[in-house]
Amino acid sequence: MISVQHLTRRFGPHVAVDDVSFRLERGEVVGFLGPNGAGKTTTMRVLTGFLPPSAGTVSVDGFDVLRESLEVRARIGYLPESVPLYREHRVQEMLWFQGRLRGLSRSESRRRAGVVLERVGMAERARSLIGRLSKGQRQRVGLAVALLPEPDVLVLDEPTSGLDPLQRLEVRRLIRELARERNVLLSSHILPEIEAVCPRVIILHRGRIAADGTQAELVGQLGESFVRLELAAGASTGVGAELCALPGVRAADARGRAGDFEAFEIRGEGELCEPIGRLCQARGWIVRELSLQRPTLESIFARIALELEPHGRSEGAA
Amino acid sequence: MKGLGAIFRRELAGLFLAPLAWILLFLVLLYQAYFFLLVLAAKGGEVNGSLVFILGGGLPFWLLLLVLPALLTMRMISEESRSGLLEFLLTSPVSDAAVVVGKALAVTTFFALAWASAFLFALLVQALGASVDWGLVLTAWIGATLASAFYSALGLVSSALFSTPLLAAFMTILANIALYALPMLARAWRGPTGELLGRVLERVDVLAHYQGSFVSGALDTAHVAFFLAWTAAALFLATRAVESRRWLG
Repeated sequence: MISVQHLTRRFGPHVAVDDVSFRLERGEVVGFLGPNGAGKTTTMRVLTGFLPPSAGTVSVDGFDVLRESLEVRARIGYLPESVPLYREHRVQEMLWFQGRLRGLSRSESRRRAGVVLERVGMAERARSLIGRLSKGQRQRVGLAVALLPEPDVLVLDEPTSGLDPLQRLEVRRLIRELARERNVLLSSHILPEIEAVCPRVIILHRGRIAADGTQAELVGQLGESFVRLELAAGASTGVGAELCALPGVRAADARGRAGDFEAFEIRGEGELCEPIGRLCQARGWIVRELSLQRPTLESIFARIALELEPHGRSEGAA
Repeated sequence: MKGLGAIFRRELAGLFLAPLAWILLFLVLLYQAYFFLLVLAAKGGEVNGSLVFILGGGLPFWLLLLVLPALLTMRMISEESRSGLLEFLLTSPVSDAAVVVGKALAVTTFFALAWASAFLFALLVQALGASVDWGLVLTAWIGATLASAFYSALGLVSSALFSTPLLAAFMTILANIALYALPMLARAWRGPTGELLGRVLERVDVLAHYQGSFVSGALDTAHVAFFLAWTAAALFLATRAVESRRWLG
């Protein structure tokens, strides 16, 4: 459905997107994840035909974004981050205008405007002035505008930015619903959002693809589970050494004291909880916690952002 | 052009949903009425000459054209670029040219309406017993609308080139002043290259072309073509400037 090959986009000397390639099959839902300035918006703008690529090719449904731009644009519903709407118009007028831009007949525009407004839960505000709507309501109207042409591909740039938690949940639920019928490409720097909506994740960092796969794949490949152990402090010296001596254990790092307890993170291959438990029992250590910590997308994201960031840790996942 | 009608209607609605267009329309009506009566009195009741005076025969009309198109077009591209609406339009399945031409048509329609005030004055004086040469008034109105289309297109070029509406308006007005003043200067200046320079400037001498035809009641195709060609050239430039915004991002 969407094919991006060696896409590069420069703004003067600045390289915003650097040799990015990926494919989307029909019906796939993909989340772009990355810190601000990673190239998410630029990639989306190239895809929607707003910005021409500096190098590489991008095609949607077999149409090239540069040479057959109008064909591509007719297949994409796009909600930019700024949620552009004419503030002086009423909600339904904005939707009718979108219908006419897409070459729909008057009656068809009106019918679809009713349908999409119902869908985003704004039917009762159809006659409101857009300028008087709240941010969350405008966001939903923007989504309705993107949906009106019934596009094959929905491109949503930070669809929940600036919303309160309740509105965010609502928009997420809506996107999950929409994703059942069409391709959705969603960008966000908020992790739970991507986790909740997108089976497949592309992590962008500094204009490059840092990771691409389903959540399970990414967690399996890049994440590492570990065992967390908390013991009463001072029970015994040389706990770390004893833990390391267990078969399969690669490292046992002391994580410092919390009150009367001392914490360890133990990494290695195979099932570790059981031998550690038996060791504790044998030594008579007082255990407060013994648990397997599974990796999350968040830990992977943080690692990628930090690893690829030579200097600052703070600006990594801003 | 696909989508042209939709954009034209949206822009026209946008103009009249903002107070600026209504205020300008009202001021134009007062301004035109004032000069109509002033000239009517000065010419001793010569109705047709006075009507033509406010439709391009006299300097007050050109003063309006110096400022109004700049004010109406200044926001159309520069501000939409900031608010993201340009991104919305340029990712719709319509060409850049349709976006630019739709906007130009909307502003031109506004001017066609504003200049139609002359018909109102004509009807009034006819009701009072004067004989109005309707052909002459209609020709002048067509000319006034054509000239407005040209200046609106220039305004759009400026709005597409500059990032803030105010700067865009300022540059449009500067360009308009140059368009008025250069041919006048060339006529006054008799240097060794005066001949050639004069002939070049003749090609862009809006006032001469206007006053050579429309105010005399002759709808001369050469002069109509002059305005249409320059308007088309300006629209082409504006489209290119919009396109360049894509490349610059």
